[in-house]
Amino acid sequence: MLYSVVNPPPFVDARAELTAPKQEKALLETAVNLLVPSATGDGEFHGPSINEFFPDVIFFADTPFEINRIILIRFLSVAVLMLVFWLGTRRMKVIPTRMQSIAEMGLDFVRVNIAEDLLGKKDGRRFLPLLTTIFFMVLFMNVTGIIPFLNIAGTSVIGVPLLLGVISYGTFIYAGVKKSPAKFFRNSLFPPGVPPALYIIVTPIEFISTFLVRPVTLTLRLMMNMIVGHLLLVLFFSATHFFFFTADGGFKLFGAGTLVFGFAFTLFEVLIAVLQAYIFALLTAVYIQLALAEEH
Amino acid sequence: MLHAVIAAATEEAAPNPLIPEIYDIIWSAVCFVVILFFFWKFALPKMQKLLDDRAEAIEGNIAKADDAQRKAEAALEQYTAQLVGARAEAGQIRDQARTDGQRIVAEHKEQASAEANRIAATAKTQIEAERQAAVVSLRSEVGTLAIDLASGVIGESLTDDAKASAIVDRFLAELEATELEATSNASTASTAGKN
Amino acid sequence: MDSTTVLAELTGNIATVGYGLAAIGPAIGVGIVVGKTIEGVARQPELAGRLQVLMYIGIAFTEALAFIGIATYFIFTN
Repeated sequence: MLYSVVNPPPFVDARAELTAPKQEKALLETAVNLLVPSATGDGEFHGPSINEFFPDVIFFADTPFEINRIILIRFLSVAVLMLVFWLGTRRMKVIPTRMQSIAEMGLDFVRVNIAEDLLGKKDGRRFLPLLTTIFFMVLFMNVTGIIPFLNIAGTSVIGVPLLLGVISYGTFIYAGVKKSPAKFFRNSLFPPGVPPALYIIVTPIEFISTFLVRPVTLTLRLMMNMIVGHLLLVLFFSATHFFFFTADGGFKLFGAGTLVFGFAFTLFEVLIAVLQAYIFALLTAVYIQLALAEEH
Repeated sequence: MLHAVIAAATEEAAPNPLIPEIYDIIWSAVCFVVILFFFWKFALPKMQKLLDDRAEAIEGNIAKADDAQRKAEAALEQYTAQLVGARAEAGQIRDQARTDGQRIVAEHKEQASAEANRIAATAKTQIEAERQAAVVSLRSEVGTLAIDLASGVIGESLTDDAKASAIVDRFLAELEATELEATSNASTASTAGKN
Repeated sequence: MDSTTVLAELTGNIATVGYGLAAIGPAIGVGIVVGKTIEGVARQPELAGRLQVLMYIGIAFTEALAFIGIATYFIFTN
């Protein structure tokens, strides 16, 4: 079962034989029930729910090392990532082979477009391992969201986004403090060029935006993108299933529409997966750059 | 209605996705550490080494080209220097030759004029000597001849040698005196004409 | 199931409507960011790469508001 909630509606229920106006009501309910666990059990459409992100525990139940399906998917993406880059960088030659070119292209993208572009050569090299790790970890875990039979992104549960957000947060504070503690906090809390009286307003805003909003938005942006992407895909495909196999008459045609939309959103999710990985690494680099800058 | 349904359907409250579970954080951290370690210690150093190698290869080629150019420039410089040296040497040799030639010409001229002078001087002394000899022989011959002639004319042998020689001497002395005058005039004229 | 129950369900899921409202601002914001980037690239095509990076940063900041909007549902339901 790919989507835990995409159960075919139980036919036993008498109300499954709906008339057309009642079908409309069911659709409306679907739209309304988007994010609500919709185990209505009345033989109607079952939308996706948040429970999808909390599958049953497989190993080590009731210990801090519980492993469920999503954790296994994460392990798989880590393994694939390391395999790709191990094959790509195993025997590096000046004139690259095909596998090496792929690995090189990926590493070069992070090195040139993110690290060196924003941080310069010296600092870029310092933070390159971290930025590379963030980019590829997010990328490989995002991509599992659209791979058949995995169908859920490793980053769609808060653990990975939160961890990476906290690491990014810690890194830019470390970078700023290591460079010059006094200057870092003065620049981030008391930006120069502001009349002193305004610091009463500016300083709390700067504190919130720098030290609270940054890690929270990093985490939420990634996680919510993945959750919403997954829910949308589930919605489209479960609706397709519903229209094709449960609905009658002209409603079957809607199934074709939802299928096309599902397919389009699958492609869109590829873009989102790459873009979110890029943005996460890019923003980490931007925060480090701001912390390292002499003045803001 | 819906809330009641939800409550009935999900006995335990629906999990909040914003609250992280311990196991979630732990396994995320494990994944992160593994990937970070992998990139930090394995993939990126290799990548860096490759980039360095590549840069070195490019720089090596540039250095090689530079070296070749430097060599070519050095050769050109050397060649130019040699050319300048050769030109200077040629000039020197030419000057030397010119001065040598001039010296040789002068030397030869001097030598020639000296030789000419010497030859002229020798010729003069020889001529003088020959003239002297001719004068002497002529005097004796002329005396004998004159006496012979005179004795023939007077028909008597001028046996009295003393008398005869006295006459001859007196005659000759007279003759000489006039002759000397004539020759001295003639010789001054001739030397003036010769120079 | 008549129309009154459907309306009752609508009130029960007011957070969804709230998210719809919350998404308006970021949607306009992202539109402005992208539009201005296109204008900039049209004026100076040689800066396209640099502008693109800035565009993504701008989108990321703006878009974060929409995702905070989604998150509020989970914050306030439990």
